[in-house]
Amino acid sequence: MIAYKFLRPGRIGPFSGTQWPAPGVWLESEAVAVCATGVHACRIGDLPFWLGLGDLWEIELDGQIEEDARKLVASCGRLVRRVEEWSPASADAFRAACAAEALRRAQLNPDLAGIARDVGLTGSPSMAAFMGARTAELDEGPSGYEAERIRQAEWLAGALHLKH
Amino acid sequence: MRLGRDIVCSQIVELVTDYLEGALSIEERERFEEHIGFCDWCLTYFDQTRDTIATVGTLREGDVPADLEDRLLTTFRNWKEGAA
Repeated sequence: MIAYKFLRPGRIGPFSGTQWPAPGVWLESEAVAVCATGVHACRIGDLPFWLGLGDLWEIELDGQIEEDARKLVASCGRLVRRVEEWSPASADAFRAACAAEALRRAQLNPDLAGIARDVGLTGSPSMAAFMGARTAELDEGPSGYEAERIRQAEWLAGALHLKH
Repeated sequence: MRLGRDIVCSQIVELVTDYLEGALSIEERERFEEHIGFCDWCLTYFDQTRDTIATVGTLREGDVPADLEDRLLTTFRNWKEGAA
């Protein structure tokens, strides 16, 4: 199964601190438990929640695979390739797209002007994504938050040519 | 379930050591990680704390020069007295 993962520089797992082996070499876990042990990874729809964690990698999962609300956990995984398309330029384009969407909402709902302005001011793609989703939630309720996260994931899938 | 948005940066600062020691519940870990996933500042703090623990954890008492030990103890004493 193809999935995605954010790693710190040097192929370091952002939470576990584990250094991943070179692409192609399997990393195995004896057990699978969400937020505890196992290879944690993202579906495309999960990516907007974890954008701040570092470099984006395409990975292959195998063995036991558990699906959680915002992540996958597997017993085996290996790096396939770094997604070079997730670059400072594409990250900034994504940040700008989040800001544009928040501004569009604010033009229809002036109560959102303050937060929409803040989305435009942040230089962080992950923060812009979070604030953009919060803007949508203020506009439409909880379903707006989820819909905006889906919109963000679709933007990423298209711009980064990710495999579904 | 609402995750990630229910925790704020000041709570991350309080929870980071517990997180690294594995003392948080699964739900708390999820909330912690989701906040780190979008908050650049907390990610930096998290990385720094983990690096500090890893580095300091290899030190022995004799590795710390005497003058540095004196300065650290003075700083800590002043800090506890509210002078630093």
